[in-house]
Amino acid sequence: MLKTIIAREFLNNILNLRFTIGLVLCIIITVACIVILTHDYQQEMVEYHLRVNSQDEFVSNYAYLRRLAWMVTPQKQPEQFRPLIVGIPVNVDFEPFDDNPIPILFSSLDFLFIVTIIMSLLAILFSYDAIAGERQSGTLRLVISNSISRTTILLGKFIGGAISLVIPFVLSLLAGAIYISINPAVQWDGSAWLALALLTAASITFITSFYLLGLMVSTFSRYSATSILNCLFLWVLLILVIPNISPYISAQLYRIPSIKEIERQNEESARNSMKVYRDRINEIAKKFKNNYGELFSEFESMNFGGIGRVGRVEPKHRKAAQQRAATDPEFKAMMDEFHQETEKALEFVRSMPKESDKLKKDMERKAALQTKLAKKLACISPLANFVYVARDLTGTGLRSLKYFNQAKNEYNGQLSSYMDKKKQDAIEKNPIFEIVSFLDVSDRPRFVFKEESLRGKLNSVLPYWGILVLFNVVFFAAAFAGFMIYDVR
Amino acid sequence: MAHLLYDKEWKDVLCRFCATTCGKKGKTMLKSIIRKEILSNLLSYKFSIITILSAILIFLSIFVMYRDYLLALDNYEILQQEHEDFIAVIRPTPLSIFARGLEENLCRSYERGIGGQINAGRKQQSVNNLFRLFTAPDLLYIIKVILSLCAMLFAFDVVSGEKETGTLRQSLSNSLKRPILIFGKWLGGFISFILPFFIAVLLGTIFVTLSPMVDMSVQDWANLGLFLLSSVIYLAVFFSLGLLISCLTHRSSTSLVISLFVWAILVFLIPNLGNILARQLVRIPSLQYFKLKRDQAWVKEFFEENRAEDYSERLEIRSRIKAESDKFTEDYRNHLNSLVRVFQNITRISPAASFTFLATDIMGTGMAEERRLKRAVLQQNNILEDWDEEKGNRPAFRYKRSSIKAVLGPGALSNCLILILFNVLFFTGAHVAFLRYDVR
Repeated sequence: MLKTIIAREFLNNILNLRFTIGLVLCIIITVACIVILTHDYQQEMVEYHLRVNSQDEFVSNYAYLRRLAWMVTPQKQPEQFRPLIVGIPVNVDFEPFDDNPIPILFSSLDFLFIVTIIMSLLAILFSYDAIAGERQSGTLRLVISNSISRTTILLGKFIGGAISLVIPFVLSLLAGAIYISINPAVQWDGSAWLALALLTAASITFITSFYLLGLMVSTFSRYSATSILNCLFLWVLLILVIPNISPYISAQLYRIPSIKEIERQNEESARNSMKVYRDRINEIAKKFKNNYGELFSEFESMNFGGIGRVGRVEPKHRKAAQQRAATDPEFKAMMDEFHQETEKALEFVRSMPKESDKLKKDMERKAALQTKLAKKLACISPLANFVYVARDLTGTGLRSLKYFNQAKNEYNGQLSSYMDKKKQDAIEKNPIFEIVSFLDVSDRPRFVFKEESLRGKLNSVLPYWGILVLFNVVFFAAAFAGFMIYDVR
Repeated sequence: MAHLLYDKEWKDVLCRFCATTCGKKGKTMLKSIIRKEILSNLLSYKFSIITILSAILIFLSIFVMYRDYLLALDNYEILQQEHEDFIAVIRPTPLSIFARGLEENLCRSYERGIGGQINAGRKQQSVNNLFRLFTAPDLLYIIKVILSLCAMLFAFDVVSGEKETGTLRQSLSNSLKRPILIFGKWLGGFISFILPFFIAVLLGTIFVTLSPMVDMSVQDWANLGLFLLSSVIYLAVFFSLGLLISCLTHRSSTSLVISLFVWAILVFLIPNLGNILARQLVRIPSLQYFKLKRDQAWVKEFFEENRAEDYSERLEIRSRIKAESDKFTEDYRNHLNSLVRVFQNITRISPAASFTFLATDIMGTGMAEERRLKRAVLQQNNILEDWDEEKGNRPAFRYKRSSIKAVLGPGALSNCLILILFNVLFFTGAHVAFLRYDVR
């Protein structure tokens, strides 16, 4: 009996106008969007390689320790799922002046948009009159007069409707997937295809939750005209309002101290330590003057040969000091000693505790709390849950950004220890080595970004996926309760 | 032949329309239709649910954005204390409560970076990544997305719904002209839809402006008035469109399905598609690439200067590298501008996009304002480069958002005209379709 109801519901749906419109719209938009975004991906890939090569070439010509970290900043590769989902840009300390204002006003068209707006709307249109509409046309009464339990009818309606809803979606996604697989520019491995399968499953969970929402509203309405209004009311709240408003509400609840203020304090403490450093250097100079007298005065007139100075050094002074050191061993010994002393002073200043660090940590903690609260508030809406699942699963979301930032920090750590070692070596070879001299850094560590494994991603999204399933269960249970007491007359 | 017939019929109709609307009998007829339409709407379930929804959303949005404006103001006060470090920082406008647009971008601090570059300070919102997943729920968003949907919901069954209940047949069996009927229905339906919206917005605005923190000038009020006027025109577009669809279909359920899809296409699909399509048409290097190149130019300059023997060589190197970098920067900026232009032209097919451009421009948070501010910042940067402390006080950065006159320049006016054109087009379409409508 269940089979008959499913078949009937299915046929009824696919012969309807909304199915035709939905199918056509879905296939056209999905394929068009995947084709355009794949093209985008190709271009971005080319540009990414260009960036990396340009960095390599530049560093082989102009490398000096002071700016090395700047010149080899890790470049983010376009995400593997870029042909489907447009990722979020990486956060940087300084935002560029010439940024593009369009994405702030309008988001991009991608797979997420298709599922969250088009498919959820279609789902509601499929189910809003499933019960109320049949009551109005009188067929519900006839069906119930047979020996069928209401549970079977409801279950049949759900399964039949969900199948007819999923067909246009899966068909269009399949067309897109075929395009991706035959496009030589996109190289997807097994785990990417598995992620796509999981993404499809998550999308279906999301779509059915809206189908069930419509069904639930339908069992509580007498007329389909009321039902559609109530459905759209809920749809607007869940899709368009709750997710957008939750970050603003959480920003009110957890106030974050001004970033600029903290940056200013940071700068002040940097200035402060610079002052301490200068004082130290002056002290050292005084001490040396007492010990070496004339010799040191000569050294001082050369501007210390550029050692321990903060700021730009005249090359002629450096040259003069080097020449003087080459001829006079006593001068060289003094210079080396001076160099060591300044290094010690530098070490001391670096190890000074900073008040601003504490403030920064405090801000980061508060920001994390605020983000977490916003994330939880938005969870009331299935859309937010779906966005988290889809983005994190495909590596286009906040989690992957965090992962990238971690990798970046690790790399920066590696780079700085590499640079320290390089500096030590260079100093051993040439005691008056400066951080502004050219260095061969072709053996530097390279940044390789390995994405998180699919298992890790899946683990992180499971709670949100669970909430999506819970939405399905709750809506179904409510629909069930409503249908049990439904007056079919 | 059919074309000619159509033309003749059309002229006929127009003449009759003029005659009837001017006639005394026609006027009373029109009045009673409008009254009937308003009354039947007021008593419907649809009216109450849509009014409640829009009122709640408008209040919520104004309140949330008002609080956000206060946060922005706090942030501005802090920035203001250290304005000596910046090239420029401008005060948030209270109008951003209603249409946020690019406000967050505009109110960043602009500072001088290394190598003559200009950096924009981090936005306060950048600490919370969730802001980047979802859009701001300001009044502009509510009108653009939700109220346009409500307008279509009001209009989708005006004709096809009445046909189903059979009242349309009865109305037309009297000596009532079809043009009067459709015009009356449009006017009555639209008035009953727009009134609750207006009352809610008015109450929300009063609440916000009563607060001492919100200091609105006369010009701000005028801008707000223009914004509301343009939103009425925008909502009328969707109402006419819903009426057109209703006149083309014979069952209200079909009309509803088509209305919803058309709405989704116009409000979401075209603007978002335009975003990715414009990038295909205007190729522009990514920001990362741009930044990388500029940083490299600066390091190169430093490096080569250090190697240089004397001062004149240094100067020469500096000017050479600066010229290269400037050319690259200018190239990039030109490309970016043409990208924005192409995007605007593509997406204007959608009333939602034209409305967004129009409204943000009116409220001083749009792309035109951003471009103007950036130009002013660049100018100020040049002034500061030439200035040194001995010459006197630091030149202050003075910037005023565009006046109404500037706002209503060619760009905004064309957006407004596009909206009016859509209105005329859809209503004429509905009119013609209704003349041929089979009421049985």
